[in-house]
Amino acid sequence: MPINNNNSVDKTLNRPVFLNLLVIRLPVGGIVSILHRVSGALLVLLTPIGIYLLDRSLSDPGFFTQLQASMNQGWCQLAMLLVAGLLIQHFFSGLRHLALDIDWGIRRQSARITAWLTFVGTFLVLVAGGVWIR
Amino acid sequence: MKMRVTSSSHSGLIEWLVQRVSAIYLGIFLIFLIIRFAFWPIADFDAWRSWFDLSWVRIVWLLAFGSLLLHAWIGMRSVFLDYIKSFRLRLVLTLVFASGLLASAMWVIDILYGQSG
Repeated sequence: MPINNNNSVDKTLNRPVFLNLLVIRLPVGGIVSILHRVSGALLVLLTPIGIYLLDRSLSDPGFFTQLQASMNQGWCQLAMLLVAGLLIQHFFSGLRHLALDIDWGIRRQSARITAWLTFVGTFLVLVAGGVWIR
Repeated sequence: MKMRVTSSSHSGLIEWLVQRVSAIYLGIFLIFLIIRFAFWPIADFDAWRSWFDLSWVRIVWLLAFGSLLLHAWIGMRSVFLDYIKSFRLRLVLTLVFASGLLASAMWVIDILYGQSG
């Protein structure tokens, strides 16, 4: 996250800004950081659906049974895997950011490795989840 | 540490801390849910309802939603501040989002502690 530590505001005003995300080649840590934001924003948008499901499933036995039955359907399992993917990506990249906060894996080489590990971890957990619900 | 110069009256340290504490709670909550449902699957509606009749379960869920809404607030606020350059649009989006979060919070409280629940 860009933090302006500069005390003179004038200097930053004259600085050229080039933030065309389509042209900049982000390092892998930057990609993980962006994905953390994207998955976070999508999860926020999905939260009302989650609250709705919790509400209905606790108040209506028929809805609960319906929900339970639809969990065996292909489209529902696919949707669950997609949401799980967002959640797991956010979890692993968040874990990485927490570790970086206390200087774990802060060196460039290890930071790159842990960035790749968030992809590997997300993929493995998703495969395991996919096998589990099958 | 050198503090950044802004018009804001505080440094943002509280937001930073809340974001991390809520993240840790949500992470532990997620692992708890996975273990709970993997080893003791919910059989039917009655089992699902009676789980929520336990007061500690409701407290754990309430704290999770509290953490989630705070986490979402700080996270989305940062996203808006970074990418929405127009002040008016950002103000509108932030207000709409804040209202949505408050409504969600009341909805969750009603589900967990309401008369019908």
